[in-house]
Amino acid sequence: MIGIISYLVFFTSVAAILSIAVLGLNLQWGNTGLFNGGVVAFFGTGAYGTLILGATPQDAHLGGFELFYPLALLGGMIAAGVLAWLVGMLTLRLRHDYLAIATFGVAVAFENLMRNAEGLAGGAQGFRGFERPLRAWLGDGFTYNLLFLGFVLILLMLTYLFLERLIRSPFGRLLRAIREDETAAQSLGKSPARVRLISFITGAVIMGLAGGLYATFYAFISPQDVVPILTFQIWAMLIVGGAGNNKGAIAGTFLIWGAWTASGWGLSRFAPLEVQLYTGSIQFVLIGAVIVGMLMWRPQGLFPEKLVVSQAGRNIKTNYQGENS
Amino acid sequence: MTKHPRNAVLACGLAAGLASIGGAAQAQDCTTKIGAVLPTSVDWGKPIAATAQFVVDQVNEAGGVAGCNIELVLRDSQVDPKVGVDAAKALVDLDGVQVLLGAVSSGVSMPILTSVTVPSGVMQMSCCSSSTAFSALAEEGKTKNLWFRTFATSAVQGAVGAMVARDKGYKSVAILYKNDDWGQDIGKIVAADLEALGITVTGSVALNDGQASYRAEVTEALKGEPEAVYLALYPKEGTAAVREWISLGGTQNMIVANALKSDEFRDNVGLQYLGNTIGTDTASPRSDSATAFVDQYKAHFDSEPNGPGLSNSYDATMIALLAMEAAGKDASGADIAAMVSKVTDPNGTPVTADTAGFAQAKEVLAGGGSVFYQGATGNVQFDANGDVSAPALTWAFSEDGVDELQYITLEEVDTFIASLN
Repeated sequence: MIGIISYLVFFTSVAAILSIAVLGLNLQWGNTGLFNGGVVAFFGTGAYGTLILGATPQDAHLGGFELFYPLALLGGMIAAGVLAWLVGMLTLRLRHDYLAIATFGVAVAFENLMRNAEGLAGGAQGFRGFERPLRAWLGDGFTYNLLFLGFVLILLMLTYLFLERLIRSPFGRLLRAIREDETAAQSLGKSPARVRLISFITGAVIMGLAGGLYATFYAFISPQDVVPILTFQIWAMLIVGGAGNNKGAIAGTFLIWGAWTASGWGLSRFAPLEVQLYTGSIQFVLIGAVIVGMLMWRPQGLFPEKLVVSQAGRNIKTNYQGENS
Repeated sequence: MTKHPRNAVLACGLAAGLASIGGAAQAQDCTTKIGAVLPTSVDWGKPIAATAQFVVDQVNEAGGVAGCNIELVLRDSQVDPKVGVDAAKALVDLDGVQVLLGAVSSGVSMPILTSVTVPSGVMQMSCCSSSTAFSALAEEGKTKNLWFRTFATSAVQGAVGAMVARDKGYKSVAILYKNDDWGQDIGKIVAADLEALGITVTGSVALNDGQASYRAEVTEALKGEPEAVYLALYPKEGTAAVREWISLGGTQNMIVANALKSDEFRDNVGLQYLGNTIGTDTASPRSDSATAFVDQYKAHFDSEPNGPGLSNSYDATMIALLAMEAAGKDASGADIAAMVSKVTDPNGTPVTADTAGFAQAKEVLAGGGSVFYQGATGNVQFDANGDVSAPALTWAFSEDGVDELQYITLEEVDTFIASLN
């Protein structure tokens, strides 16, 4: 029984961390219509940034600043934000598929940089030397994982609440206005370029937070963690959950990641021995089928976006001041 | 969609129920699970997993371990660290395994080690992870002696590669390596060893996976007009790169690491271009058990054990099971890990790597003796970091696979490596 709980804690931690990244993408794509094809670049920057700032010194690569953990995590988020600012300045004038291709390129470049920059990030061997915070007191076992899960859930909750308030605010309306019709928004005196950039950076910082937590959880990161498949997985989670709906984003993450792991587990347990060797391939087919089916029969996702009529804004308007200026 | 988690929870409950029944049943027909996290969704990963399963079958034939049949629970890592770590965690928590085989990529093995097996006190034995980072981690005492690998660190192959270049009288060598932890490691080691022997390294070029063409990389490596080329590549990129290398007029004097010891590579490049190719590999000892492995493998799988990591996978699984036998029933991962030295003891009774060998080992261990396992990769001995050194051999491609050219004993390998430093 303790084994099952222990595994569920572990599973929930990973799913909650991924949820945060999906929420970041939801702000960019679901709310603003920015097609970010390079999620891993920002996720990875947060991960590497956190470890470089927080790790113990290593001979092989940079790092070892041993910063206080929350500062290291914050540093990772800022690094992801700075990268997003640079990328955004260069590419945000691009639309849809062009933006997707450009950001995808950034992600591939990021992976290759990490794979080759041995002095910076340990190269293909990955980045070692990070000690999980408070490990000395809490040990490595179940208690630690449970408390870490609590920490991740709190951050997930905060991110969720922040985004919920953001999209209900006038700024959120502006995001949707730009998503739906940029020219119309511009004609009302808004600056779409600036707003898109803010949304892009905010989303990237949230992805950076997810990356930082992910690297903390494994106390290790390597280029294998930031391959393009992760971008695909995060997109699948958002599409299945429902783009534009934060609850959907979280639900989609738990469902897709749950299906991903449960199918592997189920196949290893129930498939006959001869089929065992092909479980990997079967799993890809199953997951692919789920996503295709979803796109065919419920393209708006499990939790479609709730379209808000502007009247709802009136209630919120009073406490909007100072929130997003 | 919504059914998946519900099913999983249901299945979890079911599994827990079964586990408790299993515990109560006891007696001869009990089953002990061991876990394996291997990249079965990758073509070269399947035979590695099949080899592990083959060992388990042999051991069960010999009466199982500590009176129980062994069941190998195989999970696919998809070469994705988070998938591999999740699979490992599920094996440890849900299936209660005390021994975990895997993974192949160091980038997957490492997070499994740091976040699953070490915290849970489970022994982890990898067939194929080569990164030097594991040795460093072990030196820091962070593997808690739970980590082993049967893949000799790249130092052996790198040194033998340099030895071949010296013996052939090559004055300049270019290096092409796979751009991952294994390739970066071996590329660096070979370069250093060649320089130490006074051989010029004209260039060292990294090849990324999955490119349609390696023309740019090959051209760069050709620039220094090397007399020979060293290849630390896998068959897929190796084939593409060597085809371009030869078509652009590169030398056919090639030295290749064991990863290219594959029929696929030989057939796709063409044997007529590989006449001057010399391969290196860690070797089997001159014992019957090594040839026995090849014979057994051929009899069972109807093909030569030519893929990368097969003999390593065989030894990893066998040593893990021998250690489990030595540790007795219901032993913890740490207990089993502590027994590894007892089954790879140079002063122990030599046992062969097959069903009969395992049966013999059971008797010796039951009598309180220790065992010297004569494996498919050599008479494996782990150092304090869980690393193995090994004898080496050189080989060449032939009509029906590969022919051995020269056998280099463990002592010769060690002396040669020492002379380079």
